Amino acid sequence: MPLTGLQVFKLLPNTNCRECGYPTCLAFAMKLAAGKESLDKCPYASPEACAALGAASAPPIRGVTIGRGPRAITVGEETVFFRHEKTFVRRPGLFRVLQPAPDRDAVLDSWRSLRIERAGETFQVDGVAIPESPGSPDAAAAAVERGFPVAILATTSQGASAMAERIKDQRPLLVPPAGADLGAYASLAARLKIPLVVSGADLNALATAAMDATRAGVTDILLEPPGADLRGLHHSLSAIRRGALDRIHPGLGHPVFLRIAAGEFEKAVVGITKFASLLTIEDHGGETWLPLWTLRQNIYTDPQKPLQMQPGVYSIGEPDDKSPLLITTNFSLTYFIVSTEVEATGLACHLAVVDAEGLSVLTAWSAGKFSGDRVAKSLREMQATERVSHRTAIIPGYVSVISGELEDALGDGWRVLVGPQEASDLAPFFRDVWGAGDKPPNLP
Amino acid sequence: MSLELKPKKWAGAIREVTLGAGSRRPVTVGGGNGLPLHTFEASFPHRPVFALEITDVAPPRWIDTVRQPWNGVLGRPAAAARRAVDEFGADLLMLHLVGTHPDRGNRSPEDAAAVVRAVLDSVRVPLIVKGPGAGSKQNDVLARVAEECQGEGLALHSACQEEYKTLAAVAVAYGHVLVAESPIDMNIAKQLNILLADASVDLRHTLIDPLTGGLGYGLEYTYSVMERIRLAALGGDAMLSSPMICLVGEEAWKAKEVKASGGVHWEVATALTLIEAGAEVLVLRHPESLARLRKQVDCWFGGDTCR
Repeated sequence: MPLTGLQVFKLLPNTNCRECGYPTCLAFAMKLAAGKESLDKCPYASPEACAALGAASAPPIRGVTIGRGPRAITVGEETVFFRHEKTFVRRPGLFRVLQPAPDRDAVLDSWRSLRIERAGETFQVDGVAIPESPGSPDAAAAAVERGFPVAILATTSQGASAMAERIKDQRPLLVPPAGADLGAYASLAARLKIPLVVSGADLNALATAAMDATRAGVTDILLEPPGADLRGLHHSLSAIRRGALDRIHPGLGHPVFLRIAAGEFEKAVVGITKFASLLTIEDHGGETWLPLWTLRQNIYTDPQKPLQMQPGVYSIGEPDDKSPLLITTNFSLTYFIVSTEVEATGLACHLAVVDAEGLSVLTAWSAGKFSGDRVAKSLREMQATERVSHRTAIIPGYVSVISGELEDALGDGWRVLVGPQEASDLAPFFRDVWGAGDKPPNLP
Repeated sequence: MSLELKPKKWAGAIREVTLGAGSRRPVTVGGGNGLPLHTFEASFPHRPVFALEITDVAPPRWIDTVRQPWNGVLGRPAAAARRAVDEFGADLLMLHLVGTHPDRGNRSPEDAAAVVRAVLDSVRVPLIVKGPGAGSKQNDVLARVAEECQGEGLALHSACQEEYKTLAAVAVAYGHVLVAESPIDMNIAKQLNILLADASVDLRHTLIDPLTGGLGYGLEYTYSVMERIRLAALGGDAMLSSPMICLVGEEAWKAKEVKASGGVHWEVATALTLIEAGAEVLVLRHPESLARLRKQVDCWFGGDTCR
């Protein structure tokens, strides 16, 4: 809980020595409480004052790092309830559950090499969750050898210890069975200095368990929220986030951990949208993972910064020098809509994505980022003009006004065709305008 | 240290809006006085409802996965309506008059009115009617439908900031609900409702369509604009307190990804995320999505714990 000016004042020596630059300790205290000054400026501050002020200015949700090396993942450190208030900062880790299998190493290798590029982000398996089994210490070692952060899904404290000892230098996350007595797991996590998941039958028990773990010497904690169904889970998730931000209980100021059993797709959706920081997912296969990765990408996009595409010429289908050359902006939503619609027409195209600072067509034009000169310069830089022999460029209908300027700027016999305002009208445009022209109408 | 979470109380609430009148079994949405799904601290007299989308002519761009459950009735709206309600359990329907679009058959307003009448004759659930969305044709089609179906409480989709006067007039004259669509923009959503109120539309007969971005295609924009609209409404802004409708199916099934992986997951993820942001009327395409979402919503708003 942030301290008030008067609470801070009581922690100061009240000598009005002025060495901090303020006339009185009270004036300095007010600035401290507002976060506008640092306690370093008071040479006489007691250790108690430093501790109290430090705790008060700590982030509402602590950061926790799992794993080591390039694939290590840090979660937590969130500061808002609604993403539009600022942004969600730490994308939740999606860990894949590794069941015992004879071809374990081959499975891990395939997970390690899995990379899917989408809208400027690389989707990959963030970590491996390993349920306790006779072979699980070896499996854990095999996973960390491949650089994966590991979550230990324990069923007994002995089994947990065997796995954790084996990979203790790699900061594994220790996950006791939900509802287990914390004692043995907490001392293991404290001794090995590894992160620990705590759980509780209700919020109070959960927050208390987190405090107990802290007292046992565990520094990095994740909370496994109670909730027998989606409604109960959503309640817990919302209450934990609100409680943490309002600092109603120090035990709530930790990232949230969630297990997603096979077939629990809806639970994963609620977890990703509502504040879970680490999910272990049993389902394999793109049918589950692709929508979840994409949802995470959407929700954790900074709402103040539009998603941008890398400017350049993108091929839709297998275009040649007779295919249409379309021009649009690098706002990724615009790109996705245009490319999806072009694909639906079945006509191969070159799509030149011009750097318009991530704005949509009309906004970019109003802001002067999509003028004829600027578009022409950009087309030349990306050598879009060399991709086609017909010297015809198609611009979005909303910016028909730049067609003359663009023709002039391109020169060299280039012609500008004004396309439809909406990408969904590209099919009739190709049929009636492009196809009717002097270029080969290679529509299917 | 004990843990105390105070329930959040708000000055405003969501307006109750009833879809369907006359020969329809009415469906009411809205009325909630807290953040979406926060059943632990607010009251919700009505739960979100699910519409299935049917079309007047065979839908031109549906992929096989979503056509399959509709085999034999695509382009036969009365039969599709019966299947949607009797077999798939839709609370209401959205009839998209795609065939009236100049590029998709250019069917006349008269044809459109006949199709809507045939659907009304085949089922008793409320009906959302979506026009071709193309300038003046939209008004001609929806105005004729509104007149033909006077008193049935259709939801006319949609009026926008540039083009609302005709539809406002016919909605009032013939007793229909008007869907007010804005381009993922809270200010325009508010402005449009002010314009509609000035045009004598009772906002108790309107829905907000904030424009849906599907998963991976702008979902986050819709999500945040809906959260902001809901917060404004709860803060007491009556010009933003209409319930929200999301056309989930047409956006979710447009994604490239649904061709490669399971489209039902894609539609469910889009819809569930938007329910969390405050959507109360969800228009879907695949009956399996409806069944899965229905299960969660019934659990949420029913009394008992369920899985």
